[in-house]
Amino acid sequence: MSTFDDAALTGLCQFARLATEADLTMAIEIEADGTSVWAASAPALSNARFNLARSGLTSHAWSGEPVDGAAFRLPTAIVQVLGGPASKVLYIPAPSHGAPLSGLLLLWRNNVPQARGIAQLPLLAQSVARLLTARREAAREVIVTNQFVDLVESVPAGIVLIDGDGAGTVVNERAAALLGCTAGRHRAAELAGPMRALRQRCDNHDELDAAYAERMKDVDFAVTLNWVMGERTFEVDTHPVRGNGEYGRIWLFTDVTADLLMAAELRRLAASDPLTGVPNRRHFEERSAQIIAAREATGRSVAVLMLDVDHFKKINDTHGHPVGDEVLKVVAKRCRDALRDRDLFARFGGEEFIALLAAPSADEVPVTAERLRSAIASAPINVDGVRVDVTVSVGGAIGEALPDGETALLDGLIARADEALYAAKAAGRNRVTISD
Amino acid sequence: MEIFERFNGHRSGGGTEIAILSHGFGTDQTAWNALRPWFEERFDVISFDLAGCGPQGAATYDFDRHGSLFGYADDLLDIIDELGVSNCTYVSHSMSGMIGAVASIARPDAFKRLVMIGASPRYLDEDGYVGGFKAENLEQLFDSMSANYQAFVAGFAPGVVGVDNSEVVADFSNTLFQMRPDIALNTSRTIFNSDVRGLVAQVSRPVHVVQTAVDMAVPVEVGQWLASHLPDATLDIIDASGHLPHMTAPREVIEILQRRLAGSAA
Repeated sequence: MSTFDDAALTGLCQFARLATEADLTMAIEIEADGTSVWAASAPALSNARFNLARSGLTSHAWSGEPVDGAAFRLPTAIVQVLGGPASKVLYIPAPSHGAPLSGLLLLWRNNVPQARGIAQLPLLAQSVARLLTARREAAREVIVTNQFVDLVESVPAGIVLIDGDGAGTVVNERAAALLGCTAGRHRAAELAGPMRALRQRCDNHDELDAAYAERMKDVDFAVTLNWVMGERTFEVDTHPVRGNGEYGRIWLFTDVTADLLMAAELRRLAASDPLTGVPNRRHFEERSAQIIAAREATGRSVAVLMLDVDHFKKINDTHGHPVGDEVLKVVAKRCRDALRDRDLFARFGGEEFIALLAAPSADEVPVTAERLRSAIASAPINVDGVRVDVTVSVGGAIGEALPDGETALLDGLIARADEALYAAKAAGRNRVTISD
Repeated sequence: MEIFERFNGHRSGGGTEIAILSHGFGTDQTAWNALRPWFEERFDVISFDLAGCGPQGAATYDFDRHGSLFGYADDLLDIIDELGVSNCTYVSHSMSGMIGAVASIARPDAFKRLVMIGASPRYLDEDGYVGGFKAENLEQLFDSMSANYQAFVAGFAPGVVGVDNSEVVADFSNTLFQMRPDIALNTSRTIFNSDVRGLVAQVSRPVHVVQTAVDMAVPVEVGQWLASHLPDATLDIIDASGHLPHMTAPREVIEILQRRLAGSAA
């Protein structure tokens, strides 16, 4: 950002005033519609906006000689400096880039124009035009820079922009907060440290280091990687400016933590039973297939336990469906708590639940089944003050996950466990039966 | 007539000498309704709505140009030039007082004399000068204006009118509501931040300063300051309250006009 020093134009006005004995000298920037957008003057003028379209000033054919002031309608903001109407007026057009009516205005009220000084004025016109053009460009640059800053800060991402020569960088506020530096311009060398430190703070920094090390050989590399910092994850996109690394490089840091959590939540919702919160049947089948596939290599055993709430219809009929639903929730929770973390547990449908025990020892299966049964039968379920005595029947089946084993192992295990469950029910319920 | 029409200009009356009636903040040219018949009998009467005021106010207001009183003075001179006015009697209320002063300095030939009702060259107090307002009061005024314009008007209008005259309060409220709130806020900032005391001594035409004894916007001291710093001035203080005597005490104002403008047209 560059700023314009208007002292040069003010000095020029002072010089012209002295040389010509004018009462007021102004360098005015005037746009095509007559609007004055800026002025330097001697003596100084409070910064009022005015329009010179109807003044007659910009339409007069100036020959470099002062003319009678009565011919012009000058803005009151100018005349008030004189203390009354101007007797003589001289305008030296100095068209500046973008403000074609600009020029140097000289007004006399009490003094008499000095011919020798006036003869020098055309020489000043070019300097005035050049300075006005420079001022306008400086003002435009400030506006463009401000717009650029507004734009950069309006993006919901941390931005680090590295210049093409690799020397300068621009950091927006979000990126500054991440990097622990101030927003704005930095030398690239100053920023290398914070950038490296940020990456080292990532849980996956080894992986990131390797990924970048390989790509950085190419000046035009572009890659998007997730930087994991504890609970937060940033998607970090780096690419060359306009596809060419020689123009510079952009780093964009987008906090995707919320997106990732949302995605995980959506996955969980898709996989779980809405009533009990445990996985649903579809998820159970997918996960079981994965677990069994993993076991196949080792040839270890797998067991399935089927569990059914005894006389569930009677619970519903006696206490109503809301109590029945509550019973299913408690059953699911007690079962889940009675199993090992690595065991898979799901609602299979209705009042039926299923568990897959990975790599159990032979005597572990009936013990686990009994643990489930007693987890339910040991204490009544209390629903809003209503005491419900609940029992479950459990059927189990064990199989070998062999490398050349039949693909329908799970279906077979479920069928056998279901038969065993039926046998447990037939034998009087609230008991465990394991298939041979 | 393009400019005159843009400012909703009206011309009436049977006289030959021109009187320009220029209203103050928060009103429009209808503020002159009570005095207009008196002027029409004696003058060629010209009135218009200031930039930002009246039914077309939003179209005439320019936030840059009207950021100082000079922009309004330029508008006045544009109208004067377009209508070929010279040697006029300029009758003004409130902010139009200093607008006329500035215009008369730039173009003395256009003005024969000025009447300023409730005028002030500076509203803020300063060491040795009573303007009637303190900076923090003004900030409160601007804040309440921008927060809720309706509520502001409801509180501001009766205070400015200053007397128990529900008809004038209703008229003043209506013309205040007619202003776009952002323009009203900017206009009041321009007025209350103005300080043209340095120009007062340059006014070469006779000025008749009129004000009431109790005016929320312009204390008596301001009228006295003006009358003593203007090169050629009279001062009449009406023994009444309020900032709008041309609306609330027209008979007293006419009595003063009769006396001060006597001679030529009046």
